[in-house]
Amino acid sequence: MEELRDLSTEEKLKIVTNFLLSSPPGEADEVFNDVRVLMADDPALQTGILDALREYNTEQYITVKLPGQENQVLVSKFGQIDNDLYLDPKSHQAFRFDHMNRRATEVEPRPPVEETEPLRTAVEAAITNYVEDHFKDGVSSVYSTENGTITIAIVDNKYNSSNFWNGRWRSTWVVNPESGKLKGNIKVNVHYYEDGNVQLDSNKDIEVETSTTAENPAAAAAAYVRLIGKAENEYQTAVNESYIELSENTFKSLRRSLPLTRQKLDWDKILNYKIGQELSFTKIAEPGPTSNK
Amino acid sequence: MTKYHRSHEFVPPPNKNFSYNQNNFMKISRPNYFRRLLSGLKMGDQIDCALDLMRRLPPQNTEDNLSQLVDLVPGLQDELLNAIDQPLKVAKCKIANKDYLMSTFNRDGDSFRSPWSNEYDPPINDGIFPSQKIRKLEVSANEAFDTYREMYYEGGTSSVYFWDNDQEQELIQSKLQSGFSGAVLFKKVGDGSRRMKGAWDSIHVFKANERGRNAHYKLTSTVMLYTITSKPELGNMNLSGSMTRQFEADYPIDDPSAHIANIGRMVEDIELKMRNLLQEVYFGKTKDIVNDLRSIKSLVESQKQADIQKELLGKLMERKS
Repeated sequence: MEELRDLSTEEKLKIVTNFLLSSPPGEADEVFNDVRVLMADDPALQTGILDALREYNTEQYITVKLPGQENQVLVSKFGQIDNDLYLDPKSHQAFRFDHMNRRATEVEPRPPVEETEPLRTAVEAAITNYVEDHFKDGVSSVYSTENGTITIAIVDNKYNSSNFWNGRWRSTWVVNPESGKLKGNIKVNVHYYEDGNVQLDSNKDIEVETSTTAENPAAAAAAYVRLIGKAENEYQTAVNESYIELSENTFKSLRRSLPLTRQKLDWDKILNYKIGQELSFTKIAEPGPTSNK
Repeated sequence: MTKYHRSHEFVPPPNKNFSYNQNNFMKISRPNYFRRLLSGLKMGDQIDCALDLMRRLPPQNTEDNLSQLVDLVPGLQDELLNAIDQPLKVAKCKIANKDYLMSTFNRDGDSFRSPWSNEYDPPINDGIFPSQKIRKLEVSANEAFDTYREMYYEGGTSSVYFWDNDQEQELIQSKLQSGFSGAVLFKKVGDGSRRMKGAWDSIHVFKANERGRNAHYKLTSTVMLYTITSKPELGNMNLSGSMTRQFEADYPIDDPSAHIANIGRMVEDIELKMRNLLQEVYFGKTKDIVNDLRSIKSLVESQKQADIQKELLGKLMERKS
């Protein structure tokens, strides 16, 4: 027999990192507390888990309020200046982000990239309107990214742990003003765990060709955002239709809610018919009420 | 923190090398008492955290998550493998040429007992078998639930395993009641038509205690459901989950075969309830949440319309008064 051996600290951290990165929306703290007790090695966890938290926070578009400001700002790799320094493109500021406590500090001015700033600002304005119009709790950031591209990150979180559900919608769109190409990705995660554990894990890559050029930033931005809105509506419609199909077809093909006869089984009949004789010996062996049905 | 229902509060058949993890065929070791002493944490805290974690991690990866969890905290192995259900695996009984389900309930060491032939595969010399009386009932139950499977699942695999209660140590000591325990298992894997794949696993574990002409039944049922849909307009959508429910009842047993009918009706009722809960409540809820995160309709327009309606209503009320 193979002996179970003790894992090294690195191996344990790898498992713990995996668990943390699989946290459902809004439940990273609970998962962290669980793995802390399970790993039972706080010093190793504290030094080893920061990379995992950084990856989780930036991948999941965790939002934060800068000190003294009301707007929510996204933490994402597109705004990452170095390890814990992030850009808020809207306010032209950089801030230090504490990945463990999810707090922003050390806010300082950070001038924008001049060449792309007119288009970035125009897209930002159009996206802000769009997000307000379709996401109740939506937060967005629009970044100037490599090779003159503009990257849009949108997140909407709904946390309701007291009713055992949490959800997150993330979309990412990269605008290439030279080619007019629009590349997007949408991810939706929902966890419902009242006396159970049900999760939706849904994602789609999207590519849209446009003939839009960036000559007039406001017009270009409006065109991009219109296409994004159309693509996201189509995606959401496809998800809703898939739910209907799951309900009408998949469920039925796995297990019917009633047999074809539309009646529950007659167990006495099944037993008498199929196995009546088989059990008759037991009746002889143990005389008792012989109710011959 | 919410209180958890362990999925099986019953003592499993007394296998020599018992493990619930029928899938990975994990080797069993004694719980590491030394580690328990060293950890400085109560094992109770750890098992609660482990179960809390499993309730949060994606049900899509239950097997991987559980095996990593056991690697992380080997001392919890026995408890975890008993408390957490995993998808069932199908094997073929070479003697009866019929599929059966591998689980903790028909496992002895690395061998599994076929409900159709009552033989272990790979063969072992000192395997554990139900008593003759209970085996007879087991044979009948397998036939009856095979009919049930065909009616409800129109395919798939079923297996029923029984074991005598008096094999359980606690009852050897107390000798209070007679009866037996069992597990009724179903698995159905969808055919992948309409670009949708799916799998259904249900695990019903019961304990029957005979009290004169009645039997008291305690049933714990778990359903695990996986669905994956891939389409150009949708991308990939994975909606999966598991739930566990418990049920207790007394029914008459004026005939030995009455046990099978009693268990059959209980399993039939609870499967219908759980299926409808999963379809309407659980899956329906996640759909509502998606549409709560994002609205297809313009929120600004919806607000405008709501304002107009409010205004109209206000005017109507004014006119009435």
